[in-house]
Amino acid sequence: MSTMKIPKIYAKGDRTIWIVVIILSVISVLAVYSATGSLAYSKQGGDTEHYMIKHLGLVVTGLFLMYFTHLANYKIFSRIGQLAIWVAFPLLAITLLGGKVNDASRWITVPLINVSFQTSDFAKLALIMYLARLLSRKQDNIKDFKESFIPLMIPIGLTCILILPENFSTAAILFVTCLIILFIGRVNLKHLFMLVAIGIIGFVLFIIVALNFDLPGRIGTWKARIENFRSGDSESNYQSEQAKIAIANGGIFGKGPGNSSQRNFLPQSYSDFIFAFIIEEYGFLGATFLMFLYLILFFRVIKMVRYSPQAFATFLAIGISLMLVFQAFINMAVAVNLFPVTGQALPLISMGGTSIWFTSISIGIILCVSRFCVKEEQGEEVAENE
Amino acid sequence: MSTPKDILWRLRILYVAICIFGLAILVKAFSIGVINREFWLSKKDKATIKLQPIEAIRGNVYSTDGSFLATSIPIFDIRIDFRVPYLKKIFTKEVDSLALCLSQLFPEKSKEQYKLELKKEYRNKNGYYLLKKDIRFNDLKALKQFPIFRKGRYKGGLVIEQKSRREMPFKQLASRTLGRYQAGIKPIGIEGAYNDYLAGVVGKRLMQQISGGVWKPVNDKFEIEPREGQDIVSTLDVRVQDVAQNALLQQLKLHNAKSGCVILMEVETGYVRAIANLGRTADSSYYENYNYAIGSSTEPGSTFKLASLMALFEDGLAKPTDIWDTHGGKVVFGRRIMSDSHEGGFGKINLNDAFVLSSNTAISQAVNRAYSSNPQRFIDRIKKFHLHQPLGIELSGEGAPMIKDATAKTWSGVSLPWMSIGYESQLTPLQILSFYNAVANNGRMMKPQFVEEIRSHGQSVEIFKPIVIDSAICSPATIAKVKPMLEGVVERGTASNLKNEHFKIGGKTGTAQVALGSSGYGGDSKTYQASFVGYFPADKPKYSCIVVITAPSNGIYYANLVAGPVFKEVADKVYAQSIEIQDKNSKPSLALDAPKVKNGKASDFNDLFSKMGVKTIQTEENEWVRTEVIGKSVRINDLGNGASMVPNVTGMGLRDAVFLLENSGLRVRVMGKGTVRKQSQPAGSRIIKNSQITIQLT
Repeated sequence: MSTMKIPKIYAKGDRTIWIVVIILSVISVLAVYSATGSLAYSKQGGDTEHYMIKHLGLVVTGLFLMYFTHLANYKIFSRIGQLAIWVAFPLLAITLLGGKVNDASRWITVPLINVSFQTSDFAKLALIMYLARLLSRKQDNIKDFKESFIPLMIPIGLTCILILPENFSTAAILFVTCLIILFIGRVNLKHLFMLVAIGIIGFVLFIIVALNFDLPGRIGTWKARIENFRSGDSESNYQSEQAKIAIANGGIFGKGPGNSSQRNFLPQSYSDFIFAFIIEEYGFLGATFLMFLYLILFFRVIKMVRYSPQAFATFLAIGISLMLVFQAFINMAVAVNLFPVTGQALPLISMGGTSIWFTSISIGIILCVSRFCVKEEQGEEVAENE
Repeated sequence: MSTPKDILWRLRILYVAICIFGLAILVKAFSIGVINREFWLSKKDKATIKLQPIEAIRGNVYSTDGSFLATSIPIFDIRIDFRVPYLKKIFTKEVDSLALCLSQLFPEKSKEQYKLELKKEYRNKNGYYLLKKDIRFNDLKALKQFPIFRKGRYKGGLVIEQKSRREMPFKQLASRTLGRYQAGIKPIGIEGAYNDYLAGVVGKRLMQQISGGVWKPVNDKFEIEPREGQDIVSTLDVRVQDVAQNALLQQLKLHNAKSGCVILMEVETGYVRAIANLGRTADSSYYENYNYAIGSSTEPGSTFKLASLMALFEDGLAKPTDIWDTHGGKVVFGRRIMSDSHEGGFGKINLNDAFVLSSNTAISQAVNRAYSSNPQRFIDRIKKFHLHQPLGIELSGEGAPMIKDATAKTWSGVSLPWMSIGYESQLTPLQILSFYNAVANNGRMMKPQFVEEIRSHGQSVEIFKPIVIDSAICSPATIAKVKPMLEGVVERGTASNLKNEHFKIGGKTGTAQVALGSSGYGGDSKTYQASFVGYFPADKPKYSCIVVITAPSNGIYYANLVAGPVFKEVADKVYAQSIEIQDKNSKPSLALDAPKVKNGKASDFNDLFSKMGVKTIQTEENEWVRTEVIGKSVRINDLGNGASMVPNVTGMGLRDAVFLLENSGLRVRVMGKGTVRKQSQPAGSRIIKNSQITIQLT
């Protein structure tokens, strides 16, 4: 029987995820190009391609990073996670304290290669890897409060508290993501509910304090955001309103790529509000398609971990994909004004400098795990084909 | 291994939850974008696009020798928007250093004052606080680097508003004639008259407001392209203007006069080379408060006698040699007595001397006898000299001349004799000058002009050629008769104090009694107007000039003493500066050493030295040279200025140095005046285009 020669594909791992990622990258470049027109005009003296070319460069290098990451053996991420978490804590502490000097505390610059990145991007990934490691090791007595719950909560709490003063929304989203991971990891539900209850009480108290007193740092900004969402006062809700106008402009079918008019009025149309921008240009249908791409991504991960070789691999892949998809949905919820304005980028789509690379590495880890899941699947598939 | 069942069901719950979340987002998007679409579309701000005017750059006004007389420079108003949220983070921390920086740049307030003020406005959340008006570009550049401000508009709250201001680099110099153009104010002077050229065309561009309140153009093209204004080259010569203005100022101060003016005109062309107007202000200083030269129409007095005699000669009713008795300096016409200013008169005197000595009695008798039977004939002749009509100059505000007809209601029996000596009629200084200029120009009357060329980007667009009002206001015979009389005034007459051995002057003094205000001739308001009008060099007139000084109040009012010195000083300086009008026969004595001159252009030196008869030794052919005095000759040496090297300008005058350096692509900053002593970029170093070079003059 003659078989068709399939061209050799160098990239391995789940092909669907690869395709989804490529499609998202293409959408990303198109959307950023169109959305940065006015930004480029006012900041780059009319060079409208400026940001697109920069973004394209980051996306392409990101794809390379993804490729190299996925070639690794997933087991080394257990060890990397263990190391990374101990790097992340001091980095977060440095940026937090360094913030007092130049007011740009979310960022840190790597001395040798002179690339700056948000330490929270690094810490998030480190924490998820470390959690996956801990969860897989504690599976035998996972329901125990002292043996499992407390050791798991320490790194989560520490990371979130260190991120919190400078970036509330990132800390909150990371915290919720971690709780969901703990739930997946069979942590005692009683303990989790207890924590959530304490958290809600604490949060309410915090809000009351924040709204009534002037606190330093970014608390003022969060306060304003919460107040705006609550009161709906029109001047400060400018972003949300412009986003809604963009969504209305788009209608069902959209105005077509490059035809947005709201990009000139919608702040952050290339980042925080890119979902609204995409609805304007690609319509409700385009937005639905985009959402399906994220759902497919998550679905493929859930499907593949059924055959995962180890609990660590399962928790790693689920944790990372949850983090990305959850952040994506939060971003979309903000764009349609379901959530208050948080300042979260849309992973894989938004223009956002080096955080694109962390997203790429994250996807690379998922793909890496998928390689090992597929291996055991292969036997079945081959059998089916015969 | 495969994943345990109790992990799988948790994953399914998670997946369903995520899907529900996604569904909620889509539902919300659908509700905004499809169900409530019309509502949100109606929220779009209609006023975010508008046609905005784009100001055109106003053209410059140059002097005939290429200096800027008026130019537009950008200036800025600095405001602070204290409502910018980011200020919360930095204001308290950095207000101290900002106040310090401000007090250093603008020292009119102390650091503490700035700090107090800033803090107060910050507390009040002033969104449009005016920090400083009208600052220059250099200060703005420094200011942008200050703490808080360096964060820009959206973080530092720095609001910069650009305006454009008209600057006259020479300040007072001819400022009234240069004038101004401002919306809502009556335009005056060259700026007003030539506004259509200078203003350019205001463009229009479709602008759209984008996030952050910034306006950006909707498309690449202008709806209406703004067109830069054209440049005006005026006829004024800065050097002469400076001399005229200073001489006038000195004389006004000396005699504590009310006002005065000087006009210098080129005989052949009618181009006005200098025009200075000064009036006394409340604090006894003088400044250009009114264009007396073109606007102030007054009784001319004795300067009008020229017109009277020319009328007599033209009509063949008198000869210069006619003898008249001055009757002891008093002659009665009707019931009024005409007297000579010279006590006791001049005895019997011919008309020629009557003019030279400015005898009222002799000239009024001559005119009265000739025309009393038909006074209108005299008036008609005067009209042939174009003295009754405005010159029609481009500048606004020309005073109307008044020469009344014999049929006029105010005409009386004494009108004719009094008109003949310059009363009962009115003329502006410029009109009198134009008349004298015509005589100097052998009867050819030129229209006075203030602008000789329109330029655009250095290219000539339009040239204003000399305009002839009348090619002959009288016969050559009459000119031949009056010219010696005019020279006689300076040689042996009323203005003999102006006589000098280098060149001859022809002219006439005029000391008129004028009424100030509305109270007529009587009482305290009676005052004098001293004038001198003439031309030089008398043999081959090149320039004509009039000086009028009103109300000298220190006891001296004779024209030759009040107005004469201004004329003399202007004539001396102009004569000294213009080699082309100097008599070739009057070479300086070669017994003296050769003159020391600044370094400069070789061709200039060769012209100069050959005219002066100084021997030159030139070793090499070169454009820019350095001079060296060796005994009675001058050695011209190469300055060694290579093509792409910073030229050596030490020893040069300012004009040559600036010309050379700017042509090399350098920006020149000048300190001091005189001759260049030092240059900040050494000669022979490589030229860095647009870099600044400072030259220190002594």
